[in-house]
Amino acid sequence: MTDQPTVLVKDLRKTFYDESRGEVHAVDGVTFACHPGEVFGLLGANGAGKTTTLRMLSTVLRPTGGTATLMGRDVVGEPAAVRRSLGFYSASTALYPRLTARETIEFFTRINGYPGDLVPARVDDLVRRFGIAEYENGRVGKLSSGMKQKVSIARTVAHDPPVLIFDEPTVGLDVMNALEMVKVIRELKAEGKTILFSSHIMSEVEKLCDRIGIVHRGRLLALGTLDELRQETGQHYLEDAFLDYVKRAEGIEGAAELGPAGALEGAEGDPLGTAP
Amino acid sequence: MNWTQIGLLYRRELRSALRERAIVVNGVLIPIFLYPIMLWAAFTGITFVQGINEGFVSRVAIETAPPDTHVALLDTLRRHEGVEVIGVAGTPYGAEDAGGERALPPDDWDAALAAGDLDAIVSFRPLDGGALADNFAVRVRYDRAEDRSQQAEARIREIVSDYRAQWVASEGEALELDETERTVFVVVGESVSSSEDIGQLLLGQMLSIFLVIMVALGCFVPSIDTTAGERERSTWETLMTVAASRTSVVVAKYLYVATLGIVAGLLNVAALMVSVGAIVRPLLVDNDAAVSFSIPWLAAPVMLAGAAALALFFAAAMMILAAFARSFKDGQAMVTPVYWLVFLPFLLGDQSDVNLSLATALVPIANVTMMIRDAIGGVFLWPWIGVTLLVTLALVALCLAVARQLLRFEDFLLGSFDGSFWRFAKEKLFA
Repeated sequence: MTDQPTVLVKDLRKTFYDESRGEVHAVDGVTFACHPGEVFGLLGANGAGKTTTLRMLSTVLRPTGGTATLMGRDVVGEPAAVRRSLGFYSASTALYPRLTARETIEFFTRINGYPGDLVPARVDDLVRRFGIAEYENGRVGKLSSGMKQKVSIARTVAHDPPVLIFDEPTVGLDVMNALEMVKVIRELKAEGKTILFSSHIMSEVEKLCDRIGIVHRGRLLALGTLDELRQETGQHYLEDAFLDYVKRAEGIEGAAELGPAGALEGAEGDPLGTAP
Repeated sequence: MNWTQIGLLYRRELRSALRERAIVVNGVLIPIFLYPIMLWAAFTGITFVQGINEGFVSRVAIETAPPDTHVALLDTLRRHEGVEVIGVAGTPYGAEDAGGERALPPDDWDAALAAGDLDAIVSFRPLDGGALADNFAVRVRYDRAEDRSQQAEARIREIVSDYRAQWVASEGEALELDETERTVFVVVGESVSSSEDIGQLLLGQMLSIFLVIMVALGCFVPSIDTTAGERERSTWETLMTVAASRTSVVVAKYLYVATLGIVAGLLNVAALMVSVGAIVRPLLVDNDAAVSFSIPWLAAPVMLAGAAALALFFAAAMMILAAFARSFKDGQAMVTPVYWLVFLPFLLGDQSDVNLSLATALVPIANVTMMIRDAIGGVFLWPWIGVTLLVTLALVALCLAVARQLLRFEDFLLGSFDGSFWRFAKEKLFA
């Protein structure tokens, strides 16, 4: 992990207007940074603001306030350049069912700006790496969910982006496919990719993430390594630590005696994680 | 906009589309086969019904018999294989003599005619004051609402006319009048239309309407599939995260939908051109009308320009509406109003005596239909062709301007707005 952040998020905000609820602050002043070779996890309940944050980083949504850069490119000012540096995987990013597995990978490799003359070799490489060769000419719509998952990962990394976002990647997967996903993320981390990972499954976050940001009601309640979170809350399990942070934010009795929100070094003291 | 990316996206759309049964059926197979088959079925049906009608024997009752000197006419009627005289009132051929199950007493004839059990009631009446003694008039009562009754009226008219012509000829000979002297005046109709003119008239009326319908049909499914279909399949967000700009994505989709609209329209024209002669000509030959189905070469670019302009309009309008749908089914309901526009030509453009003019060139869709119809007929009113294309392209520009405004809204882009285009326009666009 180097000191130069690949992802830099400062005071990021997103406000929606809802007819019944009025203004909804889906993301409310989130700040963090990620580095090459790091898996950064956003942990939170459903509706906490994880996906909205990641959608802003992938330029699908436009921030209401704050800034975010990927590889030094601003998500608002240079969205296409940001997307070239990014692979985005989520349960809501499906594949084209009428293309074959190979056509799918080739399309995403080319459209994301991979050098044209290198595309065939790159596609061959991905087909081999993810074990797709057996069904590379089969239509995606006819593949099993496990096969689709592999094609989906291959298309995410097709253009060899330095930053990868995995938004709830194991939702809907069986145990074997979920384990496969975890394995792939570890391999990508080993290659030096910056990985943003969101989940509400504590065990996955514990296994994968170098640093964890706990998100609740659009705010980043805490940010640090697993050990730092354990240390601050005095809880051994991440699940218990998570509940402590949430209870404190909600003003519920029984929460561990903690300092002010985000008091962890790396959250409010040094949220960008740039301290030596 | 990046044209390399647009090309990649466009090819991806086309490749997917050509593997989708609904798109291939609507955009390729129906344009090629539907209307030729419909034409064939329609003309075969007409011929079949005509054959059936001609095969019917007309049941005729004679209310008042002709004068004695014209008994031969009555015999002619009785001997005619298409006529069955079921009764002759007040003559030796009275109902009681007709025999068989069909015999009807004269008092029942009116009721039988109304009930469809009798096809015509014929009365022969003396015609006084004429130069020829024993001249007569014929009154045929029939039911115009019944094909069979109409057929009976036509047969009696033909039989009486032939008989009268022979009788007048023989009377004339008795008076030593030759044919020229007997003929006071005649009316001879002579059409100046060439066989090409007749063919172009028929083609113009058919092709112009079918082309508009087919272009709309060709755009219909792809416009929904590439918007609402993407949302339903959850591939829309995938597309939002690729390195291509939003504009490139939308332009590629738009060109793809318009392409399929143009292809559907032109395939239909080609199929009709090939098949119309074989289907329609045999029917017209019976009427002694030699018809040549060909169109002027200059009509081809006019048709292409018309199809392209219409496809650009239908594609834009349909995509805008379909983009608010969350499923293919919703999309069909939302886009259908645009499809209704194809019926505008029937209000104006289908009338062959209405020419393209400044006024008609301002009526969308109908103007293109008329422009194409005129061009097929060899009429090229270039100023109004220009106005027609400008009006259509102005509509396209309007749709694109609306689309550009829509793309500024995140809830439109992500499909999170729960409502139709009209509600969105009211609450957001024009709020």
